[in-house]
Amino acid sequence: MTADKDEKTTSLDDMFGDFAELILENVTIELDELRLAIRPMVQQAARSVGQSALAVPKSLITSKFEAPIGEYSSIIHEVTIGATKGEGGTRSSTLTIGGHTTPAWDLFQSVPKNPPVVSADVFDMKISLAKAVKMHYKEVLEDPAEWAKLCVNKYGADAITLHLISTDRLLKDTSPNDAAKVVEDVLQAVKVPILIGSAGDPVKDGPVLAKAAEVCEGENVLLCSATVDVYEEIAEAAKKYDHVVLSWTSLDINQQKELNRRLVDWLRPEQIVIDPTTAALGYGLEYAFTMMQRMRLGGLLGDNELQYPISSGTTNAWAAREAWMKAPELGPRELRGPIWESVTALALLLAGNDLFMMLHPAAIKTVHDLVNWLKEHRKVPEEDYHDWTSISIPEGV
Amino acid sequence: MAKLPGPLDIYPLLPGTNCEECGEKNCMAFATKMAEHTVKITDCTPLYAEAKYAKKLAKLDVLVRPPVREVVIGTGDNAAAIGGKLVLYRHDLRYSNETSFFVDIQDTLDNEGLSKRVKAIEDWTYVYIGQDLRLDGIALRGVSKDPQTFAKAAKHIAGIANFPIALCSLDPKMLATAANAIADKRPLLYAATMDTWAEVSEIATKHNLPLVAYAPGNLDDVATLVNTLRAVGVEDIVIDPGTASKAGLGTTVDNLTQLRRASTVNEVESLGYPILGSPISVWADHKEGEAPELTKWDEVLVASAQIVRYSDIIIIHSLDMWTNLPTTFLRSNIYTDPVKPVAVEAGFFKYGNAGPDSPVMYTTNFTLTFFTVESDIKQCNVDAWLLTVDTEGMSVQSAVAGRKLTADKVAETLVEYGVAEKINHRILISPGMAARISGETEESSGWTVKVGPKDSSGIPKYLQQGMWKEE
Amino acid sequence: MSFEDIPVDIGVVYEGERVRGKDMFVELGGPKMEKKFELAIARDMKDIEDEKVTVIGPDLKDMEEGSYHPLAMIIEVAGKDIETDLEGVIERRVHEYVNFVEGVMHLNQRYDIWIRLSKKSFQKGFDSLEYLGKVLIRLFKSEMNIIESIQVTFITDPEVVAEKYEDAINRYNARDERARGLSDAEVDTFYGCSLCQSFAPTHVCTITPQRYANCGAISWFDGRAAARVDPKGPLYAIPKGDTIDEFTGEYTGVNQAYTEKSLGKVNSVALYSAFDKPHTSCGCFEAIAFVIPEVDGLGIVHRDFKGDTVNGLPFSSMADSTAGGRQIPGFHGIAIEYMRSPKFLQVDGGWDRVVWLPESIKKRVEQFIPDGIGDKIPTEEEAMTIADLKAFLKQKAHPVVERWVEIEDDDELPEVMSSAAGDYVSVPGELTAMVGGVGGGLEIIFKNAKIYAEKVIIRRKDKGGKKK
Repeated sequence: MTADKDEKTTSLDDMFGDFAELILENVTIELDELRLAIRPMVQQAARSVGQSALAVPKSLITSKFEAPIGEYSSIIHEVTIGATKGEGGTRSSTLTIGGHTTPAWDLFQSVPKNPPVVSADVFDMKISLAKAVKMHYKEVLEDPAEWAKLCVNKYGADAITLHLISTDRLLKDTSPNDAAKVVEDVLQAVKVPILIGSAGDPVKDGPVLAKAAEVCEGENVLLCSATVDVYEEIAEAAKKYDHVVLSWTSLDINQQKELNRRLVDWLRPEQIVIDPTTAALGYGLEYAFTMMQRMRLGGLLGDNELQYPISSGTTNAWAAREAWMKAPELGPRELRGPIWESVTALALLLAGNDLFMMLHPAAIKTVHDLVNWLKEHRKVPEEDYHDWTSISIPEGV
Repeated sequence: MAKLPGPLDIYPLLPGTNCEECGEKNCMAFATKMAEHTVKITDCTPLYAEAKYAKKLAKLDVLVRPPVREVVIGTGDNAAAIGGKLVLYRHDLRYSNETSFFVDIQDTLDNEGLSKRVKAIEDWTYVYIGQDLRLDGIALRGVSKDPQTFAKAAKHIAGIANFPIALCSLDPKMLATAANAIADKRPLLYAATMDTWAEVSEIATKHNLPLVAYAPGNLDDVATLVNTLRAVGVEDIVIDPGTASKAGLGTTVDNLTQLRRASTVNEVESLGYPILGSPISVWADHKEGEAPELTKWDEVLVASAQIVRYSDIIIIHSLDMWTNLPTTFLRSNIYTDPVKPVAVEAGFFKYGNAGPDSPVMYTTNFTLTFFTVESDIKQCNVDAWLLTVDTEGMSVQSAVAGRKLTADKVAETLVEYGVAEKINHRILISPGMAARISGETEESSGWTVKVGPKDSSGIPKYLQQGMWKEE
Repeated sequence: MSFEDIPVDIGVVYEGERVRGKDMFVELGGPKMEKKFELAIARDMKDIEDEKVTVIGPDLKDMEEGSYHPLAMIIEVAGKDIETDLEGVIERRVHEYVNFVEGVMHLNQRYDIWIRLSKKSFQKGFDSLEYLGKVLIRLFKSEMNIIESIQVTFITDPEVVAEKYEDAINRYNARDERARGLSDAEVDTFYGCSLCQSFAPTHVCTITPQRYANCGAISWFDGRAAARVDPKGPLYAIPKGDTIDEFTGEYTGVNQAYTEKSLGKVNSVALYSAFDKPHTSCGCFEAIAFVIPEVDGLGIVHRDFKGDTVNGLPFSSMADSTAGGRQIPGFHGIAIEYMRSPKFLQVDGGWDRVVWLPESIKKRVEQFIPDGIGDKIPTEEEAMTIADLKAFLKQKAHPVVERWVEIEDDDELPEVMSSAAGDYVSVPGELTAMVGGVGGGLEIIFKNAKIYAEKVIIRRKDKGGKKK
């Protein structure tokens, strides 16, 4: 109307023509006088506006909560480690991880197809361990086969990671052949799936894992690891003897994507598990946490270089001095150490990790418990919500 | 997904006078900082003081309001600001307002007992990467079930405590009496339920106190209760969807996730409030005579899960170091700004019996780098010195590429810490990744630079073999 | 790949080493020599002899200690994926590779090269350029698999160097012209770079012939070479797709790459605008184009600029708003080379919208600033406050001044007043008034009123069906 300030008001017909409705936006109307006769309904509107601040609802305003379902275009690959007799191996069980369609633990949208699993660390030579750990393994430190048995039978490990650290040129420089013999011993000793860890020696890792891959043919082991510097020999061996490869990078998502890109030149996607490196609680954990979240999300949102299950070297939690140092004022080491490893694991579990490589029995049990507690969408009975405001807790505790 | 406003969205709603009262050079500078959420809208005093900006202020308030509102408990310097969350994932920006740890006190203790526990809670500390880790508040629980006892305990604590207080009881009479006694301390009221909302909300609105809406295990109930409290005029709401441990932990985590997603991703404004978790609930399962360590273990697990999954305030019981170190460390880690790397102090460090003829190495002050290098040096039992250069927390490789680790910077740092006065020789061992600037560094500093191993794991061998002394 | 036959050590460790005058055996090229150059040339396979090293003129063992000599290094390469366009990329690696040699220092590039050999390395046996040739050949072949055949020629004879010098200069110029002449429309493929994505998960850097990478280090040619050499590496091809809008720089292929790689956060990018759907940045951009709202223009500041800019903020403050892989209008990370592009910020008005930039940058890109506008853009020498900036721009009649008129004419939004109380009453939702009064209800009389409404719907209850 302001546009026509200077014109006489035209008739309704002129204004409307064939139209039934005029909509004017951002209008400023200047008037000398305007009379509005308002019908009762408007009166009510005016009154309720004025009074709404004072009226107290007499009863609960029933509302509904809408589950915040997300949209994800892709699925994370499923990877199986281990092979039973019928599949060409000698394991009595296999492990399958991955298969996610939603971010970790969004139970309201979907329940994880394959719950996370734990593999216990075994070393092929005696190493120095924190006291809190050593007390559980001191009898088996020089016998990898017995060590593996202890982990499976007593501590419930789902798999064994045999670290062939003696092959490091700076340690014992064990030959690939000799290292492979230990692998065979462990294969005999336990029937869970096996993961084989190299020493981190850039010259030895390739040959060591290649030889291990050969003696494990048929067992579908996880070869740990391929890195951006050393991957060809390992990928070739995995292709030849049909194993899975751990694609391991240093907290760099682009490096991770690049290595994954390269590995698929040899391997099927179902032969790859990724490890962005785990830093201990307090010493970089948030980097690992965020990388895992980003990788999982990226994969679900369509980045096919990140659609793999994730693994964590959770044992790295022990690098934190607070986990092992002798300091009575910080509480008993027997509790401090394993809780450190457990909390490291819990954070990464929530970020989406699928495979935990762990050391302390209490931490291993904790992760198993956590997985069992988290993995189902349960209706919690009312009585399980305790009134903590009025319970009495013993003094001094 | 809630889109956070940029500087150009904010700038038009500021006065535009460049008056500098906020401490910034001009309104644009203030707008950029607001976009990064490193300053608060209240810093622009003219917006509040002058009526002509009322409309702009109203619009700006809505524009920059975080998807999860901030609620303040307590008063003064120690007030706990909780919530204020901007994003669902920390990698989308960062998490603000670290989870507040409120430790419980039972109202059945005598005054001496109350004072002792208050002191223990407020004194708890540990130094971690240069910061003092601390707890944040006191949760007074109405175990006595007697309003007078509760109020007396509240009054006693309020008289001696610096920390903010939460009054915890499901009985409205308890809350009313205690609130009357210490309202001026702005305590958090725990809690209003589907049954008690009418009475408890009155206490909250009467004293203008923050109030927890507790509706366990049912998100429809949560929505109902919160909407009702809003309609009644309660502004500062904290949501407790219920904490169940063990077999109930999955549902607990799931409810927290759904609530946080609702406000940040689905922009459900009516549920945009901070969330409360109660790891202390595990104590209901503690049986007399049982080792408390088991229960404390569970409390740590629940607390950790809730810190990671969106709880803005948690109620805990244990004051042990072994339980609270992992949780405070975890909190610190999760709340680190992912874009700003964590840094240690620059400096000149001695290892073993290092003397004037011992090797001198340098590295950057990125926490991970520093600790890794330090640990590798310590491992090999060689006496050595380590000069840590301030590269604003960047690793060696990034700092060289990003021009934060430069020859001049290294030279400056050598001078700053008087290295030349402490060392007889003039040989500086550089990280392998800084080979590119080795020549320039020699020129800038006057020292001879020996390029060391690329990875710090090579340090033991390098030092043991004395390679740095070779001509 | 082994270097056992080379008398000195080869490795990344030597990359930054300096050879001082007193330690040098000889100097090749450098400020004392008028003519020197290094040049990479793409040849046909049949025209070169693989792994041949030729020395024309005195070799190192023929030179006197402490002497200075001219030098030309010609690297000729061939392979089925080798083309003239890749010469610059290959040539740039000479600096890196020569520096890997223990006791050899290489500075600068092209016709500025400056090389020194240390006495120590000469004494160890590095007495022939043949060795250098071998090292270069091995490194090139191992790092760039597209090089199938390579031959290296060193010329230390002053006359021969002089002879070939002009040809070298012509080749550099032709290369530069070609690089600047190639337009986005002429190619089918752009290149993406993920080198700096680590802390900016939603960032995808798109490199086109007319849009340099934000970091200033990678051109479209570099991208092409790298993607060819290492298709699985950090530089990858982005098929352009369909051209949505050539002026703004919107392409379906680019949008798709963004959607896939930015965790779904960014779906639509206009390559040539700092305001509308701008290209994102991570954290390593060379410079920032930042909005100065008081004059509705863009300022430019580069990373090395010390201190505050004209708006009182230093580079580092504005870098926070620019970084992080977000589309933030008005805070745009750019490479300095992009300022030389004909498409530089063209959607926003190009150079006509630039209102301030550092003196040193202005000098570097001077030739590429369109005629007439250069003098109207102040540097830190002419304006360091908004007030001074405004005055300068007005005085010089900078094109951006024409935009100011619009801002001044915008009045504050009028407020609704009721004639009685003076308080602003907002009515939630709609207020429907039946005009004309039919029994009962009330009459409201407005006198001297100004009513502001976001929308006024005048609905006729009887006629027609159309809406206007």
